Amino acid sequence: MILTLMTLIVCTALPVLLANVGLQGLLPLVLAMILIKAWLVVDRFMELRHAPRHWRWAVQAWAPMVVLAVIVAGGW
Amino acid sequence: MTRPRYLPGDLAVWLLILAELAVFALLFVGFAVARAFDPATFAAGRAELHPGVGLASTLSLIVASYLVATATVGYRLGRDGTAVRLWLALLVSLAYTLGKLWEYGQLYGAGYHLGSDTFFMFYFFLTFFHFLHVVVGQGVLLALARKARRPWQDDRDTNAMESGACYWHMVDLVWLALFPLLYVVA
Repeated sequence: MILTLMTLIVCTALPVLLANVGLQGLLPLVLAMILIKAWLVVDRFMELRHAPRHWRWAVQAWAPMVVLAVIVAGGW
Repeated sequence: MTRPRYLPGDLAVWLLILAELAVFALLFVGFAVARAFDPATFAAGRAELHPGVGLASTLSLIVASYLVATATVGYRLGRDGTAVRLWLALLVSLAYTLGKLWEYGQLYGAGYHLGSDTFFMFYFFLTFFHFLHVVVGQGVLLALARKARRPWQDDRDTNAMESGACYWHMVDLVWLALFPLLYVVA
């Protein structure tokens, strides 16, 4: 669980720090970090890793769908 | 032998969680479409936000989620410290609440509000809608902490603990997508 926490902190802070130093073109990194963080929260914190598969994938599908929809809808 | 598959918490709470996630997903799509039509307004609006406060708020929600997750496991196993972890989670999550209120105050003081432009319409609507979910989640944590204070019993019900914890994690999950979209790439 502590490894999950540390990964979430790194994945959250990294894009902000890179944006602060003026790095451009962070969108792919930000979207990848959203996917990783969502996967960790759903599988580890919500404990859906051991849930019936349809429930696990119903919730796990949320972040990829949001990322895909944001890319398509936003023309990013 | 494989571990039997088990959905933590109440089925009704999971239906609520899926409904909430669907609503937020639609709002994110609306945000993305609006940004595509007017990227300059969104870039200008993002420049007025406070990413440091946003990051601190996000970290407080993550740490609170960690404390809630470990509290839930501990409660199920009958370990000590569940109530303490839940109280700590509540305390840590207040950093988000205070940070958000501070940022609303700063933006309002600078003349920004729901009707300023498209970016701030989405910013205030999305973040305040999420803020209300956090406040409800804090109420849930308070109730769970009081419940966990009672003496340990063999037949204690873990359903309420798991349901409340999963609601809290849903609030965290939404913010983990909302924060970078608003503060980093808007």
